[in-house]
Amino acid sequence: MQYTTLNTVDGLNQAIATLLGGLMDHEVVDAVMVPTRQPHGRVVMQSLIADRAGLANIDPFAPVVTTSAAKQVAALTHRPAGRPVAVVLRSCEVRGTIELAKLHQSHLDDLLLIGLDCFGRYENSAYIDLAAGDEHLSTTFLAQATGGGGTTLEGVEITTACQACEYPVPGNVDLRLAVIGADVGKQIWVEALSDKGREALAALGLDTEEGTPEGRSSAIADLTALREAFKKQLFEEFTARTDTMDGLREVLAGCINCYNCRVACPVCYCRECVFVTDTFRHDGEQYLAWAEKRGQLKLPTDTTFYHLTRMVHMSTLCVGCGQCSSACPNDLPIMELFRTVSEQTQHRFAYHPGADPQEAQPLAVFYDEEFNEVTGQTK
Amino acid sequence: MLELTINGQSVLVQEGKTVLEAAQELNIEIPTLCHNQALEPYGGCRLCVVEVTKRGRKSLATSCTLKASAGLVVETDTERVLRSRRMTLELLLARCPEVPVIRTLARQHGVTTTRFGLENEQCILCGQCVRMCKERMGVSAIGMVNRGAQRVVSPPFEEFSEVCRSCGACATVCPTGCIDIQTFSQHRSEPLPSEWNEGLRARSAIYIPFEQAIPKVPVIDRDACVHLNTGACAICSEGCVADAIDFDQTDEEVEVNVGSIIVATGFDALDPTPMEPYGYGRYPNVMTNLEFERLSNATGPTSGKLLLRDDKDRYKFTRPPQSVAILHCIGSRDVNYHEYCSRTCCMYALKYAHLLKDKCGHETEVYNFYIDMRCFGKGYEEFLKRVQAEGVRMIRGKASLVTDEALDEDEEGKLVVVAEDTLTAQILRVPVEMVVLCTAMEPRSDAESVARTFGISVGGDGFFLEEHPKLEPVSTPTAGVYLAGACQGPKDIPDTVAQAKAAAAEALALSSAGHVTVAPMISSIDPDICIGCQVCVGLCPYTAIEIDARRGVSVVNSALCKGCGSCAGYCPSGAAKVEHFTDKQIFAEIEGLLDCRSDG
Amino acid sequence: MSNEFEPTITAFLCNWCTFTAADLAGTSRLAYPANVKIIRMMCSGMVDPKYVLKAFLEGTDGVFIGGCWPGDCHYINGNMKARRRVALLHEVLGRFGVDRDRLWLRWVAASEGNMFAETVEEMTARLRELGPCVMKGEKVA
Repeated sequence: MQYTTLNTVDGLNQAIATLLGGLMDHEVVDAVMVPTRQPHGRVVMQSLIADRAGLANIDPFAPVVTTSAAKQVAALTHRPAGRPVAVVLRSCEVRGTIELAKLHQSHLDDLLLIGLDCFGRYENSAYIDLAAGDEHLSTTFLAQATGGGGTTLEGVEITTACQACEYPVPGNVDLRLAVIGADVGKQIWVEALSDKGREALAALGLDTEEGTPEGRSSAIADLTALREAFKKQLFEEFTARTDTMDGLREVLAGCINCYNCRVACPVCYCRECVFVTDTFRHDGEQYLAWAEKRGQLKLPTDTTFYHLTRMVHMSTLCVGCGQCSSACPNDLPIMELFRTVSEQTQHRFAYHPGADPQEAQPLAVFYDEEFNEVTGQTK
Repeated sequence: MLELTINGQSVLVQEGKTVLEAAQELNIEIPTLCHNQALEPYGGCRLCVVEVTKRGRKSLATSCTLKASAGLVVETDTERVLRSRRMTLELLLARCPEVPVIRTLARQHGVTTTRFGLENEQCILCGQCVRMCKERMGVSAIGMVNRGAQRVVSPPFEEFSEVCRSCGACATVCPTGCIDIQTFSQHRSEPLPSEWNEGLRARSAIYIPFEQAIPKVPVIDRDACVHLNTGACAICSEGCVADAIDFDQTDEEVEVNVGSIIVATGFDALDPTPMEPYGYGRYPNVMTNLEFERLSNATGPTSGKLLLRDDKDRYKFTRPPQSVAILHCIGSRDVNYHEYCSRTCCMYALKYAHLLKDKCGHETEVYNFYIDMRCFGKGYEEFLKRVQAEGVRMIRGKASLVTDEALDEDEEGKLVVVAEDTLTAQILRVPVEMVVLCTAMEPRSDAESVARTFGISVGGDGFFLEEHPKLEPVSTPTAGVYLAGACQGPKDIPDTVAQAKAAAAEALALSSAGHVTVAPMISSIDPDICIGCQVCVGLCPYTAIEIDARRGVSVVNSALCKGCGSCAGYCPSGAAKVEHFTDKQIFAEIEGLLDCRSDG
Repeated sequence: MSNEFEPTITAFLCNWCTFTAADLAGTSRLAYPANVKIIRMMCSGMVDPKYVLKAFLEGTDGVFIGGCWPGDCHYINGNMKARRRVALLHEVLGRFGVDRDRLWLRWVAASEGNMFAETVEEMTARLRELGPCVMKGEKVA
């Protein structure tokens, strides 16, 4: 693997802006989609920047992911412009994008994928509060995290989803902004993982070295181990709590069928969810029949139905980004629910979402001889 | 161009041509043994000598090596020439007295005895094999070794050749037919069996597939052709006067848009090799029905004579058999192979019995071993009566064994067919010289993948499934795809023709109607809901879903859709749904059924 | 009236094979438990997992999906898609304590009227052992 070193003494964002600006100047890309401080409020969101001047406000390592960029990449490339664009994404966003590409929602040919190492994100509202108190929150956060100080700032923790995420380093990208293992105040690295990435670095005339930066592999291994331990404990505890229908209904008790979780989910790709169509528009007659049969019926109904269906439709594709839990107005543990189901369903089909663009999704293929244990019959 | 005179006739030839070639232009025959138009002239056999007058002097020269020159005077049949030829032939006759070609040539020149001591060689050292291998095959696997009387053709050090490719060119050009490649080639090889002639005859790498081939032009077997595999040879294209051979031809994929398809892919004959008790493959004179057909055919290996096969050489046939057994139901009506009856065998078995009586003489003993006689068609029962009247013995009992182990002297050297005659409840042992196996008609080995290609199904017996056993014998559930012939089930020629005409009529009816009627329970995809993930496209078994690139949605082709619901069963948004099986309808069924559950 | 639990089986049967087998069981006067309620599908590949979830939520104790034997599907390979979908449902339902034995996918050919009757017998007996399904009769759907 090739990598180059970016001097960050004059500022992390400035160094990255110079890199991205260079890509535009050298016509490697026409525009860049990157997390940027918005002109209004203290929010950081993905912006599509075609003017070098706009790069002054970028903040890719801001510890927040307001919404999964996988959906924005799909919006951008659904009907491709045919012009090269760089997109800066975290691990879960890259994996989500790859799954969406398999579903023809994204097209990756014109994209220069730039991955970001990720120490995690704060919930949107928590981020805004933290950012209000610290102009350079991103650097503070990274310095603490790379320095071994963990990811809690002022008592605020990164989301549970991030604490349980075992993929801090994105794969399947062309370039990677590598901070894990780096002394962020001095320098970060830009790794090139594909021919496209190598050509981009060459176009910028940057000196490169072969191999992996010193200390990086062990730093990644340490972080991953920490996350995996957390995930194991979280899943065990949650599964024990919810391995019955009653347990499931306990955690879904506050659900109001707002479908925010579905909107926020990067791999829930339907234009119109079947639950808002006519199929689930019941006659008054039917409601009364149900009430009479059961004595009592929670409204809105089809709550458990909705979640179980979503598990069937997308648990094999779940990338564990946790946007579902973040989006839920009633703080239901949707991420834990779906990730624990995904463990099982992804294992059954030996499927790894986002790992391999060539790996076909479980329900999109079928073979003559397989899963014979389902019927247990032999002729 | 040069002008020379041969036997008083004047002839013009191009420079570089030999006197032999000039003589051939005038249709003057000069005998040769070592000459081959594909090889460089050798002048080894000395048979082609002619008398040449140049500057007043006469001399003998080999016409195959002598280049034509202006003003040359040549005589091909002078006394001196004939004396020389006769001496050459006497010498050859002494060396190879048993070789038919030499004896014939000698006799043609009036040479019947030789004054020289007799040897018993087969090879005349003409060198064609050596030159062929070196000049045209580019291998030089064999060469002339030793000198004088010890000269022989052999691979180096008389060891098995490491480079011989077993192309067979040497054996083919040898005028005396004395080369057996197995004596020096490391590779086990046999002449290429002709597929059309069921392996009863050999064919070369370039061959005309069969007499009625359309177009009737030769094809080249890519795997066997020396030129395509090594760049050598190419003698065929040199010899082709129409310059019609193009080695660079490759397969061309042609796309044809059609409105209907008739699948008439035929059948395979069962291979009886695994049926050890019948000895097919072990005994040379146990043959299948198709092999017998080729034997009997006027364009077959024996020009239609029914002859026994030579024990040692599978391509040689000897004399007519004196007794023949025809075994019905080999692989048909058999739980171990095919349970069905192959329909055609009883009738052709009777045909073979009749042909044997007719061609080999009425004293030929013919036995038919059958389970039942199925003579169902027009004139069929009458034919059975006629054949019985010809003295063919009908034995009701399927043969169980063919063996060459003789129990008494009547069975010595014969094939003994063992069967139970169920009418007399006796075990019979019938010694015969030839056994014909009536093998089952099977579906083609690639029937399953052909079925998948056309979206049709295969029945339990492996043949393509018609839409309805009584009312739709030539159509399939896939609209526009019809069936004809043995691919749908074993049948004979009149039935095949009837079915083919029916299929053609159906196809024409479809095209001329101008519209297609489809079943109502087919799928449709709501373009407002569909997001174009294309998963349904891959799940559809009939490739009935197309992608509308402009709108970014998937669209069902209602003429192809069979309403299986694979797409609807997957589609998470419900964009794809089968008419009359919508979610709302099924939910209503579920709600209705479970409303009246009995739980006390 | 008996206090013994009578399980309900909702059966989604493919038109060409299992539904025909059920017909054959009927015309052959084979007795099998009336606990089964049949919904005709054109193919086992037409069974949307939502139907299975709906049936459980509406109160069925077991779901039986009947299809053609692999290789014999009238629509070539609908049964293979059904197989994957049922494997997935087993995992999802199993995660929440719904016994896998409540959802059966079985291949029953058109001529196997006997096997259809036997399967219904077996499933009814098994569901009696397992008891009522926890997904039913809920105040929350």
